[in-house]
Amino acid sequence: MTKTVATIPIQENDAVYYSGQMRLGPLSAGQNTVTFNPGNGGPLNTTLISDYDSAFNYVTDTGNFDIHILADSTDPPTSANKVPADQFYVSDPTNNSVFFSPNAAAGEYIFLQLKTQAVEDNYGSYRYTSLDDVINNFLLTYVGEGKTLLRIKRTDVLFHARRAMQELSYDTLPSAKSIEATVPPSLSIPIPRDYVNYVKISYVDENGVLCVIYPLNGLSGNPTDLSIDDSNGVPLQSSFGNNILAEQSLTEEAWAKANLSNLSGSRFQQSNINDVPWFRQAYGQRYGLNPELSQTNGYFSINERLGSITFSSNLSGRLLNVDYISDGLSLDLNSLVPKMVEDALYSVIMSMMVMPRRDVDPGTKAFWKRDAYVKTRNAKIRLSNLKLDEIVQVFRGQSKWIKY
Amino acid sequence: MAINVNTVYTTVLSILNKEQRGYLTPFEFNKLAVQVQLEVFEKYFEDLNVQLRSPQNNDEYADRVKSIEEKIDSFLTSDNTTATGNLGVTVVGGLGVIDTTAASPAIHRFGDVTFTDRALLPVTIEKVSKHELSMSRRSQFAAPTSKFPMCFIQGSSVNILPAIASSNTLGNEKVYEINYVKKPSSPNWSFTTGTLGQYVYDSTNSVNFEISDEDQSEVILRILTYAGVVVRDTEIIQAAAGAVSQMDQQQQQ
Repeated sequence: MTKTVATIPIQENDAVYYSGQMRLGPLSAGQNTVTFNPGNGGPLNTTLISDYDSAFNYVTDTGNFDIHILADSTDPPTSANKVPADQFYVSDPTNNSVFFSPNAAAGEYIFLQLKTQAVEDNYGSYRYTSLDDVINNFLLTYVGEGKTLLRIKRTDVLFHARRAMQELSYDTLPSAKSIEATVPPSLSIPIPRDYVNYVKISYVDENGVLCVIYPLNGLSGNPTDLSIDDSNGVPLQSSFGNNILAEQSLTEEAWAKANLSNLSGSRFQQSNINDVPWFRQAYGQRYGLNPELSQTNGYFSINERLGSITFSSNLSGRLLNVDYISDGLSLDLNSLVPKMVEDALYSVIMSMMVMPRRDVDPGTKAFWKRDAYVKTRNAKIRLSNLKLDEIVQVFRGQSKWIKY
Repeated sequence: MAINVNTVYTTVLSILNKEQRGYLTPFEFNKLAVQVQLEVFEKYFEDLNVQLRSPQNNDEYADRVKSIEEKIDSFLTSDNTTATGNLGVTVVGGLGVIDTTAASPAIHRFGDVTFTDRALLPVTIEKVSKHELSMSRRSQFAAPTSKFPMCFIQGSSVNILPAIASSNTLGNEKVYEINYVKKPSSPNWSFTTGTLGQYVYDSTNSVNFEISDEDQSEVILRILTYAGVVVRDTEIIQAAAGAVSQMDQQQQQ
């Protein structure tokens, strides 16, 4: 998924946006390069990627478009006039120029068809601006004669903008990351490559409903060091002087075999709960049990040793949904910024920029700090998507009894 | 607009020759003219610095910053690595290196360097010290990239990171451009010898002062100051120096 950023004002026409299609022509005789930008839909938000490079080597499987050579302006794109992937390549990604072979005949048209994923990645692109744009705008409008920041280094802005993006990603920006996975027999899956922290981990039941799984929180553990000890408890070393480490954790092995029903108390017989003498004695005493441990959804833990998320045995084979946060910079330093937080981002950058400066008075620093705080809070409220009608619907439940 | 060299020379002579104080030969005048033009030209930058720190107005004709910037603007020029330019970037030791001595006209005051990657808009290459560049490239957040490149200047070389060689190949253009201030051409009062052996102004081969004609009075007064030294007349020196000083004060108030 590589989401795109739309231009301001929007220059893609409906055909490009909704269908990912652009027709250019008529081509001149012998023409073998076109630029899918000017006219006929304006600049594409999507950067074209071809499977083949300029030497016609197969270099990637992430190509995001097909082209067709049409006999004339009324000729529809079909499989017959589709140009094979090994006969075209992107000659200049900065303006989406494409070289194709064989050369066009006079009067022919070229038809671009973005692949489904590329079209979907472009949907909703007007919601975003790019971090590079924010940096350029900041340099243009917040720095200079008569402004708080008279002269700064662009490098400083880059640093603080990217740090601001990270900070906002942690607690202000919506969690846009989630993966679907099935719990394997090993009961663990690798931590996603751009993972910073989890938001919610759930298993998916038969109806597709997400059932929240809870963290272990000390119920069991994932040791980070598995040294093998001698009879005195002293770790054994190899001939190189390093501790000899076990491959399996005994704690994790025991936990993998654990029967959660014994923990939650859902199996009365095994816990002797249903025995009459005990039942009479303990009548009413299950009141106040720990809800964290009295659930049957299951548990997970972040296993730092294995770099994985480990699950309890009752989740084996279950479909999982892992919602997590990243820092917004993992795959591209020029990450997407929701327009709802653009103003907050400027203020946070400004606040971070003025803080270490000696030539800014404390009053101004305090002002920008407050400004950043207020705008961040405002952005968070905006992104919370509080809509009047939706709140009213939630409040309609107020007549129900509140259960403790 | 340039200042006519003949106007300056004749004015200087008419002031200098009053009461038979002395005479300034064309050869002497040309030497002094070069010196004075450079003085006035260099003063533009100092004046701009002073004015930028003073409150300004937004008047069309009395905005001092605008006025000085306009004087400097006429000396702004650029050279680049395109086929029509004189520069080139070669990758040496992991850095893209521009030899600035190849620039034409010669660089007097370095402005900035821009990099254009094919169809993208030009980006200014941030100028930092070598030390800062070393630190920056170790930072994952602030390391130079083709979108935000950096450079340091060492001798007559501009050293750029990331190291991308210039290219004029169609479809793979990588163009660097240096924007800078050139030095004003040296003024020259050229002459032919008349029938009586007198100097006759030769407008064809003369070179006018390139600096703004707003500074004509200052140029004349400053030449007179030096001319006073040449003809050993302290009265001229004092009068001209006083007038220049008064002019400077007025400009900076």
